Amino acid sequence: MDSKRRPNPLFLPAAGLFLLLFVLPMAGLVVESLRTYVPGRIGSAEGAPFTAANYAELVKPSFAVFFFQTLRLSLAAALVGVFCALPLAHWTARKLSPRWRTLAIGFFVTLMFLSVLVRTYALELTFGAVGPLGPALRAIGISTNSRGYIEILVAAGLLHYIIPMSTLTLLATFQNVDPRLTDAAQVLGAPAWKAHLTITLPLCIRGILAAFLFGFTFSISAFVIPMILGKGRVLFISNLIYTRFSEIANYPSGAAISVVLFVLAMLLVYVMTHLVNKRWAQ
Amino acid sequence: MTSLTRRQALQTAAATFAATSIGFMSRAAGVPELTAVEWGGGVVDAMKLIAAKQDKVTVNWVLHQGGSGAILPKIKATWPAAEYDYVAGWEGSFNGMLKEDWLVPVTVDMVPNLADIPEKIIVKNAKGQWMAVPRAVGGIYFAYRADTSPIEIKSIEDLFDPSLKGKLCWPGPTQSMMLQIVALALHAGGDENNMDPGWALMKKLAESGNIGRIAVTDTDFTTSLTSGETVGGFYSEPQLTSVAAAFPVTRLTKTEGMPVFLYQSGFAVFQNRPNLQATLGFINFAISPEMSEIYAATAGEAPLNVKAKTPDNLKHLAFTPEEFDKFVYVPDFNVVLTNQDAWAKRWEDEIAPLI
Amino acid sequence: MTPRRADDIIRFLCKLMNCAIVLFLLTPIIVTTLMAFDARDYLGPLPPPALSFRWFTAFFSDSYFLKGLAISLKLAACSVAISLTAGIATAYATDQTTFRGKDALIAFFLSPLVVPPVVTGFALLLFLSKIGVIDGFARLLCGHIIITIPYTIRATLAALSGIDRSYTEAALILGATKRRAFWDVTFPLARTGIISGAIFAFAISMDDVAVSIMLTDAKTYTLPIALISSMRANFDLSIAAASVMLMAMTVLLIVILEKLIGLNRAIGQGVFR
Repeated sequence: MDSKRRPNPLFLPAAGLFLLLFVLPMAGLVVESLRTYVPGRIGSAEGAPFTAANYAELVKPSFAVFFFQTLRLSLAAALVGVFCALPLAHWTARKLSPRWRTLAIGFFVTLMFLSVLVRTYALELTFGAVGPLGPALRAIGISTNSRGYIEILVAAGLLHYIIPMSTLTLLATFQNVDPRLTDAAQVLGAPAWKAHLTITLPLCIRGILAAFLFGFTFSISAFVIPMILGKGRVLFISNLIYTRFSEIANYPSGAAISVVLFVLAMLLVYVMTHLVNKRWAQ
Repeated sequence: MTSLTRRQALQTAAATFAATSIGFMSRAAGVPELTAVEWGGGVVDAMKLIAAKQDKVTVNWVLHQGGSGAILPKIKATWPAAEYDYVAGWEGSFNGMLKEDWLVPVTVDMVPNLADIPEKIIVKNAKGQWMAVPRAVGGIYFAYRADTSPIEIKSIEDLFDPSLKGKLCWPGPTQSMMLQIVALALHAGGDENNMDPGWALMKKLAESGNIGRIAVTDTDFTTSLTSGETVGGFYSEPQLTSVAAAFPVTRLTKTEGMPVFLYQSGFAVFQNRPNLQATLGFINFAISPEMSEIYAATAGEAPLNVKAKTPDNLKHLAFTPEEFDKFVYVPDFNVVLTNQDAWAKRWEDEIAPLI
Repeated sequence: MTPRRADDIIRFLCKLMNCAIVLFLLTPIIVTTLMAFDARDYLGPLPPPALSFRWFTAFFSDSYFLKGLAISLKLAACSVAISLTAGIATAYATDQTTFRGKDALIAFFLSPLVVPPVVTGFALLLFLSKIGVIDGFARLLCGHIIITIPYTIRATLAALSGIDRSYTEAALILGATKRRAFWDVTFPLARTGIISGAIFAFAISMDDVAVSIMLTDAKTYTLPIALISSMRANFDLSIAAASVMLMAMTVLLIVILEKLIGLNRAIGQGVFR
């Protein structure tokens, strides 16, 4: 099939939109990141000389720590998110009666429309220091003020978005897997868990990857959630960028961090997609 | 398929839009309409009251979205086309704007009521021109909730008290131009030009574990205090006023050893706008003694016009000349502004990993 | 332990986990509803000492919020229509073929997702001003298209990839044109994915703060921006009321969808059930 070797031209409208609304603006940002910044000014001056200093100053251990923290929490949240969404999506797709399934889907959809700002404050009020759980947690020796607990809170904030999103994504995937395959395996004597692990999961792998990437990319660019739940103590890269784009007004430095984050994240996404496709491609 | 769905969607949306926006179309004809950027909450309410008392202009109110710096990239992006007649701000944002050469210099001839505003508070450029019109004064200082604080905070040393573990809300690097660290520096014998003692003390405070939240936005601070998460910190007046509306707040404005910073709230008038005279006229009206009092009562910032009276609930912002010399510290804002970038990076390097 | 026994234990654990997750997901909705009816002026510890409708009254009596809501709805409808159409076309185009660089192309279409929205908004602002686009709605539309389109592409792609090729091929063998095969076979099978993509896109657009903050102009602003701007000093609980109202609207929409076409048929069913 020769036509399958060439990309179908239908992707061109989106590619055009991307060029205009994403590639060119990002290129502008790269240029800005190479400009010299004079402290006290608002962004770089028109035609300011080029420099690599905005990148050079990122090469220091404290920055590696911020990057590592963002990546670590994002990966953890995406993994846990998919892990939680799998049984939930399977349950919704296969175990519920039509009426309950409608209700469950409606619930996940409604969750998507809960404002992120309100959502984070609601989580803060429930699980934070002053929440009803506060005294109980303190009683069993968990300090609601410790860094570890704040990290868990940030991850919980991310998960509250990732789980419904991943569940809805996986729902579509599960519905397109023939349940007779696992039934057959079970008839042949395999336990259900083994049948799912060896048959259902590999068939769903690209859906699972999609859900995982949703979670990962959502977390890595999250801004409001770490800002509020992180209490300014657990910082994501986006929070550092915001610092530069707001009162400090050092746009070149903010642009440089954005570029580094973008390259790093794209590399990770690409490698993960490639590995999964290579391992499971038919 | 594409055009059909799109057109349908647009039509439906347009219908919804038209139905809800009729109210906005009717505007007084014949008088110039100004576009003004104001703070939300009490400040814009006060300015609306003032605008209602005159009929020379109508005003389209645009609100600051976040800190006073959030509007800057937008102005910068469209410059030299300007969208706003005036932008409300303070020393921090005015200094940046005047360096970009966006503002109209003002004189007593243009705004006669400026004669009743203390001259030394007016922001000036390198040539000594007046670059913004101050309307009121607010303060940034240490304060705490008297009902929930385990101890009575009387000095900077008290901030290190072990009973305050996790109980302080400290402003982050985008807040109040990092005057909080200047305050620590002053306590340790430095100032804005000699910040090392301040950073050393900041490190010690971070290591003490007493900082429970770093406030990155104004609402962070108020919610942290009202919800009981933290009991005190270093913050500015509109936030303290809103906490004080529901809880007893002790403001340490007249305590020896606790530095107090005052800031002005005012108008920056933009170049390249069609209605400059009308804008100046409106601003002149807004800083008149009577309007200054209306502003102070609603916005929670004390009047600067010497002919206006300071309301009773803002007495902590009224200083006698002796008190002013003793408690209020006036930093060199130019030094503070030029160091924002370096201080923010130092914060990320040295302080953020400790808290 | 027999295999059946292990199955039972695992099934029980899964059920337990599902319940815990649903509880976790439900809590903030309950808390938000409490917040929206909280009579207090400030954000205080739960539960609220008194309840009131004041935040709903405040929301509906403020023309500033209502104008923001109208613009938000218009913006979300336009941007979702555009990004959904472009997204389906792209997903279809890439799913049908295996050309060199396909992974890279898909990664490229996902790339706006890894850029913090503050950055996307900032970069767009600089670029659009440079080419002379300063109209607020046009700017916002551009921003919302670029943040929603990866969701529609990804969700459609995930749904398409699960469809067994043999169905489409069977249709082609039976004499259907490629277009017929797509509209009659592929599209209905991918419907769940496409609709969930549209829902993500709509929700993302309605809730966006960080991109919009950079792109609004003096007269065009969205609801979340109006809500954020109105709270300088205080956490204004109108935002909780707005959120409850938005969720109520979602529920209403779901009920209508259910009555009209059956939600279960629209997104509850794939090839197998």
